[in-house]
Amino acid sequence: MSWSMISDLLISAVRMATPLLFVALAELYSERAGLVNIGLDGIMAFGSLVGFLVCYWTGNPFLGVLCGALGGVLVNMVYAFCTVTLAGQQIVYGMALNIFAPALASFIYRVVFGVSSTLAQATLMKTISIPVLKDIPFLGKLLFDQTPMVYAVYLLVIVTMVYFNRTKSGLNYKAVGEYPKAAETMGINVIRTKYIACIICGFLAGMGGAYLTTCYVNTYSDGIVAGRGFIALAAVIFGRWSASGVLLACLLFGFFDALQLRLQVGTNLLPYQLLQMIPYLMTLIALTIFGSKIAGPKSKGKPYYREER
Amino acid sequence: MQKTKTLNILIPILSILLAFIIGMLIILLLGKNPVEAIGYLMKGAFGSKTNLANTVVRSMPLIFTGLCTCFAYRCGVFNLGGEGQFLAGSMAAITVTLLIGHEGWWVTIVAVLAGTIAGGFWGLLPGILKTWRGLNEMITTIMFNYVATLFMGFLYTTALREGSVPQTAPVPDATKIGRIISDLRITWGIVIAVVLGFAIWYFLFYTSKGFQLRAVGFNPIASSYNGLSVKKYMIAAFVVSGAVAGLGGAADILGTQFRLISGYGGGYGFDGVAIALIAQLHPLATVAVAYFFAVLRVGSTTMQVGTGVPTSVIDIIQALVIIFAVAGSSMLYLPKVKTFITNIFEKKEVK
Amino acid sequence: MNEILRMEHISKQFGDFYANKDINFDVREGEVHTLLGENGAGKSTLMNVLIGLYQPSEGTIYLHGKKVQIDSPAEAVRLGIGMVHQHFMLVEAMTVMQNIILGDKRFKGIFIDHAARRKEILELSWRYGLNTDLEAKITDISVGAQQRVEILKALYRGAELLILDEPTAALTDIEVEGLYSVIDKLKAEGKSIIFISHKMREVLHVSDRVTILRAGKTIQTLIASETDGKELANLMIGRDLVECDYEKKESALEPVVELKNVDYNKTSKHNGLNGVTLMVRKGEILGIAGVDGNGQSQLSQIVTGVTMAEAGEVMLKGCKVGRVTAADFIDKNVSHIPEDRNRMGLVGNMTVEENLLLKSTQKCDFCDLNGWHLKKKAMRAYSEKMRAKYDIRCQGMDQEIRSLSGGNQQKVILARELEAKPDLLVAVHPTRGLDIGATRYVRDNMIAARDAGCAVLLISADFDEVLQLSDRIIVMFEGKIMGEYSGKNPPISTISLAMAGK
Repeated sequence: MSWSMISDLLISAVRMATPLLFVALAELYSERAGLVNIGLDGIMAFGSLVGFLVCYWTGNPFLGVLCGALGGVLVNMVYAFCTVTLAGQQIVYGMALNIFAPALASFIYRVVFGVSSTLAQATLMKTISIPVLKDIPFLGKLLFDQTPMVYAVYLLVIVTMVYFNRTKSGLNYKAVGEYPKAAETMGINVIRTKYIACIICGFLAGMGGAYLTTCYVNTYSDGIVAGRGFIALAAVIFGRWSASGVLLACLLFGFFDALQLRLQVGTNLLPYQLLQMIPYLMTLIALTIFGSKIAGPKSKGKPYYREER
Repeated sequence: MQKTKTLNILIPILSILLAFIIGMLIILLLGKNPVEAIGYLMKGAFGSKTNLANTVVRSMPLIFTGLCTCFAYRCGVFNLGGEGQFLAGSMAAITVTLLIGHEGWWVTIVAVLAGTIAGGFWGLLPGILKTWRGLNEMITTIMFNYVATLFMGFLYTTALREGSVPQTAPVPDATKIGRIISDLRITWGIVIAVVLGFAIWYFLFYTSKGFQLRAVGFNPIASSYNGLSVKKYMIAAFVVSGAVAGLGGAADILGTQFRLISGYGGGYGFDGVAIALIAQLHPLATVAVAYFFAVLRVGSTTMQVGTGVPTSVIDIIQALVIIFAVAGSSMLYLPKVKTFITNIFEKKEVK
Repeated sequence: MNEILRMEHISKQFGDFYANKDINFDVREGEVHTLLGENGAGKSTLMNVLIGLYQPSEGTIYLHGKKVQIDSPAEAVRLGIGMVHQHFMLVEAMTVMQNIILGDKRFKGIFIDHAARRKEILELSWRYGLNTDLEAKITDISVGAQQRVEILKALYRGAELLILDEPTAALTDIEVEGLYSVIDKLKAEGKSIIFISHKMREVLHVSDRVTILRAGKTIQTLIASETDGKELANLMIGRDLVECDYEKKESALEPVVELKNVDYNKTSKHNGLNGVTLMVRKGEILGIAGVDGNGQSQLSQIVTGVTMAEAGEVMLKGCKVGRVTAADFIDKNVSHIPEDRNRMGLVGNMTVEENLLLKSTQKCDFCDLNGWHLKKKAMRAYSEKMRAKYDIRCQGMDQEIRSLSGGNQQKVILARELEAKPDLLVAVHPTRGLDIGATRYVRDNMIAARDAGCAVLLISADFDEVLQLSDRIIVMFEGKIMGEYSGKNPPISTISLAMAGK
């Protein structure tokens, strides 16, 4: 294996970790507020459609990504209303999102583009290299010659770390996920925090989906999300509900994703489907080794009733 | 108690009505005539003997995946792996059939058994991961779904491929599950499905073990304090639900589909989850809702041909039914709503 | 003294049930005013109204003579009302300091200014004698320390009116003395305190005035120095309190369960057992006295088979217990009234009938074909019989058990556990949260079980209960046995000291 092959692999890994990181951070914000959202796949699907459409119509991938994020927020508001205001079971509504959102995305695509086998193509987001930094050997191309989305997500990781560890707002936010009743008695508006968490989650997950159709490839197809929403759930557990842990987890999964692609092209050892299994199997293995009995925010998954009787 | 039962039936029905109304609005927005569209839908599902048969055939795999989810959830096991377990069943059934090389009804039985066991095994794996390492089964079963789908791709493009088109050889005629009425596509598979529905209903509500399984699903801690082995019941739930889905896969490939091909089985798993949730985890209601889903699917192709309304409107209607049905039952538990309902029923009794 | 708080004609409804009805209550500056009443009288509801968690269905609240609308906890804090809940509102995963500064809106800036906040909190804790380690995690500090954190939280936000809800429930005698001196300091600084309790001794010691609540209504307000325990008890219950004396028996029969040098999670002070040796004989009640959180939960789990001991021997009916489960213990006729009936004893979503028969569906009385056919008629007949025998108030056998009252839920558990004619009954906090009638009923049944030859292990944080019911008393402190005493004329002060670790 030559250096350039490894370097290519790593660049690919970083690129493929990015959508995963968006979604994993989305789930991190959601679970830190006590809401387990398993509908990430659905939100991503809708975000990817909206992002693609807007990019196709305006030719501007940045606008596409932004609209994809907003689309994600829209969809997640259904989840928010049902789990926060109606205090319903989060798992069930997450599943409902997984069924509803991709159906909506598929429907809109068919209505706009009709039923044909050729995929419509939109503008792909270009990479932007940071001058000077990109000339650092090895690391330069890896970290500083990517699309702006990649830079954005890494910035987001840092912002998240600072937010949860150093700010007052972050401390209050975490309390909502740990012990909402206590937070309420301390004057924290639990319901509002949960809704904000859903907005952030929808925004980031939608953005992650939009990344897939504007930066990763420039077409939309059903199933483009390929289960990333669920891998993101694993990444949050694996990363122990911290932004830095989630970053490492996503880089690892991204690496395996990139690896299986390379192996498909490079070797004839195994049929390509078996190689495509690698990310999913790695998720299982990673969870098995690392993911067992840790708990996470104490009240996650539990519905919150303000006046209990 | 009476009032809760009434409400529990009302909610799915109201959800379906509401979803249909919204669906019709969407059709209107597309510039088509909703009444006409629904008319075509009904014609496609019920209009002729063949159509009626097709609806029944289409409901068969959904009954199996719906029952799979229903059984698992009753034990608190969120088995989202119905898709993978169904495919495991199909793959095992067809592999066994093709490898044995002979034909005949005894091959059918072996193949069906193989499919059921394969499905049970595919359910056992995430079950072991959960009870041994505490892994969240929602994530693990989805991972196993992808592995199964990819493996199926491997089978029909490479290992069991026949010919230039990527698909497997078909199930030989003598091994196919027979039709009930010779010129309609309905096979004995549907009988198995419905009987299974009754069997699960009986098991859950009329047997000791079924009772205990439900207790574990509701409150595993209290169940363990009262002497029930939570781990055993959970593993049983994983295995049995997987086996049910696997049986469905075997029945489907041996009776309806006959070959593994790209896109086979797509959506059966998640549809099964939706069906079980709308049916509020009642096995008999699951059968009914599965049939309803089949009506929508079969009717929608006729609707698309007849009026140009895309079939994906049906996906949206189905998704809306789920959201409304589940939101409805959640609303019942809200304190304010509880008070409101108590007041309504109180007034009725006073009168 | 000036009046600081006045609550007038306060009512709070849940559905058609009045938790508070037309309550009138006032507090003066610098006084300790106790709200006295038994479980379910409406004290917690009234306080939840005062701190903005609940909205009153009717009535007005005045602070310093001005009408106020307390529509959220934030508003209550702003108005200077601080509450120390019975179940602490502390985030376990966070530190003491983080818990204190949580939700505080008074300072500008996005980032937490650790140094400044530390200084302020330390000054407060010195002034009122509330010592804690600011950087410790809540899970690592004692219950008494947690309570000090709760008080600091309220003071940090400028509370002038403090509500202490059953503050001594989980404290040792020494910690209670500590609390009394904190209360003295608070009074000296002009703070007003609402003290909620149903324990007569404390009430008389600490209060200036006492208001009695019964069944959601205010009965009377008295001056503490002008009344006594008997009058207060009568007002609390509404009829003359019948002193209850149970007969104490000495048993020389064989032991049903024995623990020899049992260890479990040895290093933990609050959740472990260290060298525990005890036995319970047939026909006696062994009472475990001790403040909750000294290993009692773990003890109850070991004698019912839910957990296994890590060292030492456990003998059940003379046989050594190896790798077993709760099911094995149940087969050997061990019954368990658990400490948390909703989490450990009952399946909330199931019906009354199903909970009564939770352990029995495999029995041939209720099923045919080895469990493959349930005899629904027989099940219904049996549960109706139980309903009559144990006076379980419910709308029918098909009612979901979670909608029954605590007392009736406990009766279902009693029915289930006692009908099995156990050889060993393990009862953990069996009367927690029950009203006087239900409490009496449960205790009578335990005495009856003992008289019929059952061995009873009673674990209770209610010291009076242990004293009243036990034939022998054992004290547990930090996972160890501190001493064994006779239940007849027990040496109360010695036992109290033992409970505090002396």
